[in-house]
Amino acid sequence: MMKKITGREWSGTVLMALLLAVLSFASLFVGVTGITLDVLLSGQDEMALKIFLLARIPRLLAILCTGTGMSIAGLIMQQLCMNRFVSPTTGATISSAQLGILLSLVFLPGMGIWGRTLSAFLTAVAGTWIFVWFIRRIPFQNAVLVPLVGIMFGNIIGGITGFLSYRFEMTQQMSSFLIGSFAPVIRGNYELVWLAAPLVILAFIYADHFNIAGMGEDFASNLGVSYCLILFAGLTISAMITAAVVSVVGSISYVGLLVPNMVTLFRGDRLRGCLTDTALFGSLFVLSADLIARTVIMPYELPIELIIGIGGSILFIGLLLYRLKYGRKAIRFTRKETISCD
Amino acid sequence: MKVSDLIKKYEGKTVVDSVSFQLPKGKVTSLIGPNGAGKSTVMGMISRLIAKDSGMISFEDRDLSGWNSRELAKKLAILTQHNNVQMKLTVRELVAFGRFPYSGGRLTEEDETIIDRAIAYMELESFEHRFIDELSGGQRQRAYIAMVIAQDTEYILLDEPTNNLDIYHSSNMMKIVRRLCDELGKTVILVLHEINYAAFYSDYICAFVNGKVAKFGTVDEVITRENLSQIYNVDFEIIRINDKPLSVYY
Amino acid sequence: MTRTHTGLFRLLLLSAAVLAASAAYLLTDSKLYDLRLFAFALKLRLPALAVMLIASCSIGAASLIFQTIINNRIVTPCLLGMNSMYSLVHTAAVFFFGSGSILAVNANLAFAVDLAVMALTAVFIYGFLFKKTGHSVLYVLLIGTVLSSLFGSMQSALVRIMDPNEYDALLVSLVADFNHVNSEIILISLLLLAVTAFALRRDLAVLDVLALGRDQAVSLGIDYDRTVRRLLLGVVLCISIATAMVGPVSFLGLIIANLARQAMKTGRHALLIPCSALMGMLAVIGGQLMTEHLFSFSVPVSTLITMGGGIYFLYLLLFKKEGGY
Repeated sequence: MMKKITGREWSGTVLMALLLAVLSFASLFVGVTGITLDVLLSGQDEMALKIFLLARIPRLLAILCTGTGMSIAGLIMQQLCMNRFVSPTTGATISSAQLGILLSLVFLPGMGIWGRTLSAFLTAVAGTWIFVWFIRRIPFQNAVLVPLVGIMFGNIIGGITGFLSYRFEMTQQMSSFLIGSFAPVIRGNYELVWLAAPLVILAFIYADHFNIAGMGEDFASNLGVSYCLILFAGLTISAMITAAVVSVVGSISYVGLLVPNMVTLFRGDRLRGCLTDTALFGSLFVLSADLIARTVIMPYELPIELIIGIGGSILFIGLLLYRLKYGRKAIRFTRKETISCD
Repeated sequence: MKVSDLIKKYEGKTVVDSVSFQLPKGKVTSLIGPNGAGKSTVMGMISRLIAKDSGMISFEDRDLSGWNSRELAKKLAILTQHNNVQMKLTVRELVAFGRFPYSGGRLTEEDETIIDRAIAYMELESFEHRFIDELSGGQRQRAYIAMVIAQDTEYILLDEPTNNLDIYHSSNMMKIVRRLCDELGKTVILVLHEINYAAFYSDYICAFVNGKVAKFGTVDEVITRENLSQIYNVDFEIIRINDKPLSVYY
Repeated sequence: MTRTHTGLFRLLLLSAAVLAASAAYLLTDSKLYDLRLFAFALKLRLPALAVMLIASCSIGAASLIFQTIINNRIVTPCLLGMNSMYSLVHTAAVFFFGSGSILAVNANLAFAVDLAVMALTAVFIYGFLFKKTGHSVLYVLLIGTVLSSLFGSMQSALVRIMDPNEYDALLVSLVADFNHVNSEIILISLLLLAVTAFALRRDLAVLDVLALGRDQAVSLGIDYDRTVRRLLLGVVLCISIATAMVGPVSFLGLIIANLARQAMKTGRHALLIPCSALMGMLAVIGGQLMTEHLFSFSVPVSTLITMGGGIYFLYLLLFKKEGGY
């Protein structure tokens, strides 16, 4: 039953891994303070070494965790919801996490990053569950209706967040969580994002289960898999990864939506085979976006969310148009294609 | 109305391939054929809903594209299946739209009488002030026909008028078509899927296969065993009822 | 024709309500006992009131016309990101001509440049969108929503590139909102609206027929494609005017256009458009009164509108199949 993996399929993965390694290494030497390998190795410039260890390496690690985590979170959500356009961005997970952060800032100001993350966990999980419960109740499911509902749902939660932050004068503090950026990442304040790692490993272990649940409730019960359990577990994992990322670097949209889609365009729907590629490609995607963000207005930098917001929206629209042309047919109104109805 | 060498392509695929025919005036002509034969596309082109790629459609000795749209609307009316109106309209308001080409929205006394007549002709008086989204499918279809009557055109083009209607409403619809021709002297052109409606209620039939006109002629000329078997690729039997050829297929 | 009369009566009622709200806005806490203070208050509030009236009127009319053009009641120009597009165009103009240039100083000139660029790009982009998606409502909506966030990201990126240190201050000065309305362009906007309405008078008159759908409109002798293009241009213009004056408000159009359709129960645009415009004025002035006096400025009107509008949108999308997608 196992599909034999041919050398050709592997070559893509290897290529991505190599590229990621090269870019990661290069990214360590991009910044306002010129640090070169020679200087580091000679060990004479303590300042450079300090910057390297305090800022550059943590930043790279945070980027890799974010890229892997967000894209795996998106992939799991897409599998479980049986919809290619569901993701933390289009499933209200990110905006719920932001609401959680605001709540912790208002009600638990002393708790610091731990309180923030815990609160974001809870709201993100709750928000995602509510969203999925909601779309499973929609009488007819259209591939495009689901993300539309998700975006609007996210907008409403975002509205509540906006309202509350106005009320409690938290607008300034919240702004860094609304627009994600890796700039403030330094040793000591970002380690929570590592939480994504065990969650991603969990996702790897249970990949087959998610795949089966993704085939539908009947299919899953037929194979003796508890559908509800897997659904809840999978959504919780996705929501927790998202919450960890949002509470450390702020919102990073579109990664969870686009990366799995672009990978499956080339690889097909089987989850286990996709996971590695998705994780690699996700890291690559976020890393390149961060490099652009860092270099485009040197010596300043743009928040990565803006770069991803621009590139991601364009890619998403391209994806939608591609799906419209080659994918399942959308339901039409008023005008028909005369040619197809004749 | 005369059509010559009409061609239409979609993405490189020729859907209508040098189609030529002449429509007899004051008669009911049905366009039939299998799915994808191009009959609806031809209908779209002669009603100016779809742009043609090449060829001539001459209407009263002038090419269709040379006509002023408003003037043409006084000569030729189209009714397609895609009229799901989103707004609150009463039957009377809908029928009144038929007078738009004449008075541009400001109704005269004369318009009102014509609207009254159209409503009466379709026996819609009791629904006159009901909203069309409250009507049944058959009633709504009649309201639209009343609008076309109010438009007072010589030619009436109907694209699959029996679609989504049950047998009772479909045959009623076809009887209305017959009356439009016999009593009001209209030239009616229809696209039909149901061959027997075409055979029973029309005067002429134009059969399409693969974007070309396969047969054009009177009902008796076209509805024969050999013709139909050729057009639809299915075996047919022809029986005669009321002196009309009806086909049986299975 | 009693239905027309009840329609007119309702319009009159609405106008009275708008007048009352405007009066309340002008007079509340305006120190009537001291003429000098009163005059000062009026001097501040009259332009703001005018701006709100013009902007909401434009949004109301534009949304209603747009819904009719694309024959769907859950799609409005602002949901498709036309207003964020205007903000982007405006920022881009300042960006490319420099913040010290004549464009940044002369509001009217900047507005004219914005309008020209906006008209070209919007008709191109949205025309392309409708064509590509084959008028499939859900795709149009989803792509429009994404476009809206795309324009937003591009705009913030431009602002930050312009001045990485003080982007917050710059953002406020670039984009208006209900608390910092742009009253410098009142005259030119009024003029533009009047000219547009006059130029489009024939196209506006056939809106009732357009609502029957393309096939029927063509059958009744309307040059459909041309009329729709012209009307779309008018819509873009209206949205630009509104956004330039009060900043982006996404859901206002959706709410008021649908309320107008529900209130008037008619397909006649001669009644629907004024109703939608009046509803918009009432909503905006009412909302502003509430934020100023009830919440004492702690909640911006646009936040209220976003929350309410989002819920209303979901309701329309999921439970009212009037969209017919």
